[in-house]
Amino acid sequence: MSDTETFDILEQRKAYNATLTQAADKTRATWFPVVVLLLLLAMPALQFVGNYNYLLHLLLFTLSYVVIASGWNILGGFAGYISLGHNVFFAVGGYFAGMMFARLGISTLILAPLAGLVAGLLGYLIGLITLRVRGPSFIISSLALVMIFRIFFENWEFVGGAAGVSLKANDLTVQWAKLPYYYGFLVMAAFTVWVSYRIKHSKFGLGLRAISKDEIKAESAGIDTRFYKVLAFAISAFFVGMAGAVWGEYLTYIRPNIFLTVLISVNMVLICILGGKGTIAGPVIGAILIVAFNEFFVATLGASEINILATGLIMMICLMFFPLGIVGTLAKHRKLPRFLDWD
Amino acid sequence: MLEIRNLCKHFGGIKAVDQCSFSVEQGSITALIGPNGAGKTTAFNCISRTMTPTTGEVWLDGERIDGLRPHKITGLGLSRTFQISRNLADMTVLENIICQSKISGWRDMFKPAMSADEIEKAMGILEFLGITRLAHEDGGNLSYGQKKLMDLAALLMSDPKIILLDEPAGGVNPTLLEEIIGHIRKLNEQGLTVLIVEHNMDLIMRLSHRVVVMAQGQVIADGTPDEVREDPAVLEAYLGGTMEAA
Ligand SMILES: Nc1ncnc2c1ncn2[C@@H]1O[C@H](COP(=O)(O)OP(=O)(O)OP(=O)(O)O)[C@@H](O)[C@H]1O
Ligand SMILES: [Mg+2]
Repeated sequence: MSDTETFDILEQRKAYNATLTQAADKTRATWFPVVVLLLLLAMPALQFVGNYNYLLHLLLFTLSYVVIASGWNILGGFAGYISLGHNVFFAVGGYFAGMMFARLGISTLILAPLAGLVAGLLGYLIGLITLRVRGPSFIISSLALVMIFRIFFENWEFVGGAAGVSLKANDLTVQWAKLPYYYGFLVMAAFTVWVSYRIKHSKFGLGLRAISKDEIKAESAGIDTRFYKVLAFAISAFFVGMAGAVWGEYLTYIRPNIFLTVLISVNMVLICILGGKGTIAGPVIGAILIVAFNEFFVATLGASEINILATGLIMMICLMFFPLGIVGTLAKHRKLPRFLDWD
Repeated sequence: MLEIRNLCKHFGGIKAVDQCSFSVEQGSITALIGPNGAGKTTAFNCISRTMTPTTGEVWLDGERIDGLRPHKITGLGLSRTFQISRNLADMTVLENIICQSKISGWRDMFKPAMSADEIEKAMGILEFLGITRLAHEDGGNLSYGQKKLMDLAALLMSDPKIILLDEPAGGVNPTLLEEIIGHIRKLNEQGLTVLIVEHNMDLIMRLSHRVVVMAQGQVIADGTPDEVREDPAVLEAYLGGTMEAA
């Protein structure tokens, strides 16, 4: 090897080491999510000093959105398959756990993982069929899925048809009645975010990212694209189904129109797009913002269609300034505050 | 090592590849040449199963591979590059390369995306190609020539036995061209079998041990560079004499 060549390599080594130190400097702010989690764990203590039921409801609502949006993100954000039909799994989880609760009296909080597995298995089977196409065709197939399941549930007498089934409320006093569900969703949200993080940093996650960029390249790189996609679909359905399980008991009834509405399937997509598709913190930020916007407009404009319109409008404005979502865009410009960098 | 038998690929009425048969010897550099639209890329696509061949067989080390899915073929040690680089944007060069590292079974899927060993191996490859400084660049932001080098780097990550290069030096400057030729030669000396598509005749004649010539989907000549150069059918296909000019 000639001297100049050796010199070149040494130069490159140096340059590379410099980039490494830069990377190491970007230490993770793990404390932040941990502190948020602790605060949320302590929040119900407010009930000792007053009536904060509404606040707890909003937090619970946000947490449930974190679970479904983060779940959706595994397929839609990581693998790049936009599903507008993920509320099917919300419904399947809800009905499975709801019916078991109604018949056998087992709490949906205990059933949630099982309901998630049922939804995940269904997701796996559906994914085997619908993931053969991508882009608009996939989106349309996911919409068709919602219609099929809506018709199915509305006509299935065993689960009460369109009227659904009402579920027993728990025996706790009004002050504490929300607590089990609040903690249920908190645990699920933390779990979902943690799993998303683990997936993103695994070979599986790297493969999904490759698939979202260029499936043919991914395939020729040695990635079993079909299995990766279907597995992502199943995991994603698992989380959405788990959320659905507890949601039914929280509302004290299961009915097609609380699960299988456009609003829910669209919201999980919007949350991810607003927060940052394919990022870990994105769905969390998005869920907080959507609930906050909605509350703000309901408070100022009243509970009419106008607040939905206003929420839509402000989202459009956000996306004009943050085309990749808030977390995604800030990260791209290297302006993401460290405490929000969960990736 | 690699044997293609009666491969056909039809697009509607177009016979892009028509009854193609040729083989690639272990340890050789074999060139696949032919005028634009001869069907070289399509043949590559059928071998690596990016496309499904209409009919025909592909054998790798005595195993029939034309029914396998692409990732299996890569797993068996056949890797390819694309004529137009397909880099993964929003992923660093390092990630682009490590994407290509071998995964066996679903257990591997949940290992960390990039182990220290893999990073070291990838950096070794980048060093061999002289592009270490690009490691943390976005794969989508590279220049044309850099992309070609990155393709080569990614290819090596999967420890292939045979590599299919579709115009690895197409449209790059003469210095880089020499560099890439050097790399291919070095890899071949280390025992890697190479099948290469290239339009630069000078390069082909210097580099390859065997040359397969395609025109209109068919193999019209097959032999050493010198034999092929003299072949009347080849001269005909290249419209009389561009071979000398090249
Ligand atoms: N996906 C496709 N659909 C229809 N026709 C195709 C497709 N891909 C290639 N062809 C046709 O097949 C023929 C062979 O194309 P191919 O890309 O294999 O040529 P090539 O030898 O690689 O040419 P070049 O040297 O320009 O890269 C061309 O006539 C082309 O139009
Ligand atoms: Mg070509």
